[in-house]
Amino acid sequence: MAKQKNDILQGTLALLVLRTLEARPRLHGYALTSHIQTVSDDLLRVEEGSLYPALHRMEQAGWLRSEWGTTEKNREARFYSLTAAGKKQLHQERESWERLTKGVNRVLRNA
Amino acid sequence: MAWHNRLLRLLRHGPLWSEIEREVSFHLAERTDDLMAQGMSKHDAMREARRRFGNPTLRRERTYRTEALLWLESVLADVRYAARSLRRSPGFAIVAILSLGLGIGANTAIFSLYNALVLRTLPVEHPEELVQVTFGDGRAVFTNPLWEELREQQDVLSGVFAFGNRSFNLADGGEVRNVPGYWVSGDFFRTLGVLPVLGRVLDNGDDYRGCPAIVVVSYGFWQREFGGTADAVGSTLMLDGYPFELIGVVNPAFSGVDAGRATEVYAPVCAFTIVYPESDQLDARSSWFLHVLGRLERSQNAKQASVRLAALSSGIFGATVPQLWDREGQDRYRGYTLAVRAAPNGVSYLRGEYGPALLALMGVVAVVLLIACGNVANLLLARATRRQHEVAIRRAIGSGRGRLVRLLVTESLLLSLLSAIVAVVFARWASAFLVGMLSTSGNLWLDLGLDGRVLGFTLGVATATGVLFGLAPAWRATGVAPQAALRTAGRDVADRCGRFAAGKLLVIGQLAMSLSLIVGAGLLIGTLTRLQTLDTGFNRDGVLLVRMDPHNAGYSTEESSRTKQEILEQLRALPGVRSASASVITPIGGSSWNNYVEVDGYTPLVQEDALAWFNSTSDAYFETLETRLKAGRDFDSRDAQGSALVAVINETMARRFFAEPQPLGRHFSVKPPGGDPETYEVIGVVADTKYQSIDEETSPIAYFPLSQEREPWGTLRYQLRTDGAPTALIPAVANLIVEVHPRISVRFSTLEDEVAASLTRPRILALLSGFFGAVALLLAMIGLYGTLSYRVTSRRNEIGLRLALGAARGRVLGMVLAEVGRLVLVGIAIGVVVALASTRLLSAFLFGMTATDPRTLVLSAAVLGVVAVAAGALPAWRAARLDPMEALREE
Repeated sequence: MAKQKNDILQGTLALLVLRTLEARPRLHGYALTSHIQTVSDDLLRVEEGSLYPALHRMEQAGWLRSEWGTTEKNREARFYSLTAAGKKQLHQERESWERLTKGVNRVLRNA
Repeated sequence: MAWHNRLLRLLRHGPLWSEIEREVSFHLAERTDDLMAQGMSKHDAMREARRRFGNPTLRRERTYRTEALLWLESVLADVRYAARSLRRSPGFAIVAILSLGLGIGANTAIFSLYNALVLRTLPVEHPEELVQVTFGDGRAVFTNPLWEELREQQDVLSGVFAFGNRSFNLADGGEVRNVPGYWVSGDFFRTLGVLPVLGRVLDNGDDYRGCPAIVVVSYGFWQREFGGTADAVGSTLMLDGYPFELIGVVNPAFSGVDAGRATEVYAPVCAFTIVYPESDQLDARSSWFLHVLGRLERSQNAKQASVRLAALSSGIFGATVPQLWDREGQDRYRGYTLAVRAAPNGVSYLRGEYGPALLALMGVVAVVLLIACGNVANLLLARATRRQHEVAIRRAIGSGRGRLVRLLVTESLLLSLLSAIVAVVFARWASAFLVGMLSTSGNLWLDLGLDGRVLGFTLGVATATGVLFGLAPAWRATGVAPQAALRTAGRDVADRCGRFAAGKLLVIGQLAMSLSLIVGAGLLIGTLTRLQTLDTGFNRDGVLLVRMDPHNAGYSTEESSRTKQEILEQLRALPGVRSASASVITPIGGSSWNNYVEVDGYTPLVQEDALAWFNSTSDAYFETLETRLKAGRDFDSRDAQGSALVAVINETMARRFFAEPQPLGRHFSVKPPGGDPETYEVIGVVADTKYQSIDEETSPIAYFPLSQEREPWGTLRYQLRTDGAPTALIPAVANLIVEVHPRISVRFSTLEDEVAASLTRPRILALLSGFFGAVALLLAMIGLYGTLSYRVTSRRNEIGLRLALGAARGRVLGMVLAEVGRLVLVGIAIGVVVALASTRLLSAFLFGMTATDPRTLVLSAAVLGVVAVAAGALPAWRAARLDPMEALREE
């Protein structure tokens, strides 16, 4: 099976997680993975193994907070939500992302 | 990275890990459910879930690393980076590591001495419970009756013991072989908790009047003298010519309770009467020779114990009043109180003598290290400038400033920790060398083993210096705007000026600090010079001293006196001896004898004014020591037993008591302890001489003829003046005395050595401060030279242009030298202020000059100025010799 080139670009995982949590507060890791995959129409797939370290890093940076809770299926899971700092961070990352894509697009179109 | 894994294994079961594990297993369960909902078998679904997640063990490892070792790993990366970059410039690394290593090593060396002498606790059980029993005023010497009374009456200490220093002579006759020993009371070893490695130690049952002659020896002594054989116990050891039975060997870690002295033999106090059968020392109420230490009860503190002892004091002192003292002295004695002070590190007279001097030296070496740091910081600044391009790129691609500072400081810390290794090696050599210098005749012994405190000190100093010299350059290096630095590719002229400013500040600081060290060294060297050239009233060169003790020869009093006289006659006949004499005391020889003097018509303001120092001498004593006879005559055959008592006095005594320079024929009287007053006629006046130490105020001294002594002294000192080397006489003198009687003990030294030994502390202070002052000067000059060279190099274009436009080379030379001059002047100005503020700390060590001695200050500043101009001259000359065309073409 050829490896699809739909792994998430290094550094944008945080942006996607932050944005997802902005739209839907209180998600666990699995839901985050599925959600990103669904919303991107299967274009983006989170590398599951690196999601959890990333979540922890973001939590340590103060962008996320988490708590243990139970899912509908009565399983123990950790739920993440956005903090105020996380919102600010999302804002910044979104801006720089837009600048980047705009720039890249221009180059692609005009060069 | 094996230790990585070990750390991981250790941490794997930590709370953080289990959290992540729970989260991951939830994730896998959800995924499996979904896959099963899509129609997979449970087994396949679980495998697929795990496959998608990736190898869980690998993940776990990676997750964990990211979480817990992210930091550690980046630090390691920094260290690797730092090591690589140091390897790339080995010249810089070696210069920096060696100079810091020597600087830190000097600090470690002095500190390990201070630690061994002052800080280290005794290697016994619970040293923190040990206390020393003292008088309220801090004095701490006891008589045996006072000690025994204290032992009987005290009820606050769980153990208490007395000990007195005593050098025991191992040789039975001829030249002495002294070993440091103690008289100890019965509870010495039990109270300290010191155990034997062989045989047994002394206990309470061994300590009674009339006890047998037994002795315990140190481990080192047992190894040296008995080859460490077990049958040493029970064998006989000759101490001062008396046989003692060796009953045990103590634990090797224990070397007595005073720092600086390695005690080798321990004899019970009661054995005093074995060595001195006719002595009443054990009952003498004014023979002070014991120190008392004790152990506090667990529940007590020193304060409570002091209160209790103070309450017992009147009973203890009341029972031991010295019978021979006058009424006034006895009343004072009854009023004394006892107290205790903490003594976890034992007692030591060396501590008082050298502790403050070592602290002063620690200050000196700390400043030397600071100056060395300045040079390394200067090198780092230069490196930082060369690295600007690299730093700019790192910043441009997103490195934070803090992160870059950390990277550069890691490099400095790596440097300083490598230096710490050099330091420890150097310090071991240097501190042993210092002990050798301090030890005048192998009498100083310090345990210089590396302990946690010394290692901690070295690491602490190394880390502090690493941060100190690394932080500022790192901060500056990372402070550049990336664009600017990239644009100029690291050749920004403006920034070079900034770097020069920082370098200038460093150099000014170095000049100021080295000036204050030079001033300090100047003061201490001046002190030593004054002490060495001071007129002592006698000529110390060319005199052999022979201390002879006929104790073991078993002479009667009369035989002893006759033998001593015969030996003196034979010594005078030896070839090479110009003159010879005998006396009880030699100047600066460590012993003294004094009493109050009464003179008709003289009333002292305070009693201490009436105190005079005595000596008892043969004829020709003044001639041998070359002390001038100012008036009257020397002793001769007229001054015999039974004839009128006579004395020769010094000029100070004549002035003080008789108010005339030559009171020949006048009388003074002295009341010996427990005897009737004796009256002496003054038959001669001699020049003033120093008595106990070179730096003392000259005291009144009276000399009595040995031939009139009622009870001759046991030991006697002969002085032999020769034109050659005094030590060349030793074999002949030793032979002569052995032939008189093989059991007479003799010890040789020279007057010059004894005087020099009394100046050990000032000599060491002068030597070391002079040495470190020179090192500081050298370091500061390297800093100055480096900064100026850099300055000249970066101004090549400008200077080339000036020369091309017709500036005279002399002007260019002058321009650079003027810069040196400005730096040096500012440095000296600050240095003078620093020196004036800091040399006050040396006051206690100075003699004949004040801490603000203007001559020393001016001279030091002049030395610094001249050397600085010399150091600056080379770069200035290079600037003036610049080829303008070449310099301009480069741009």
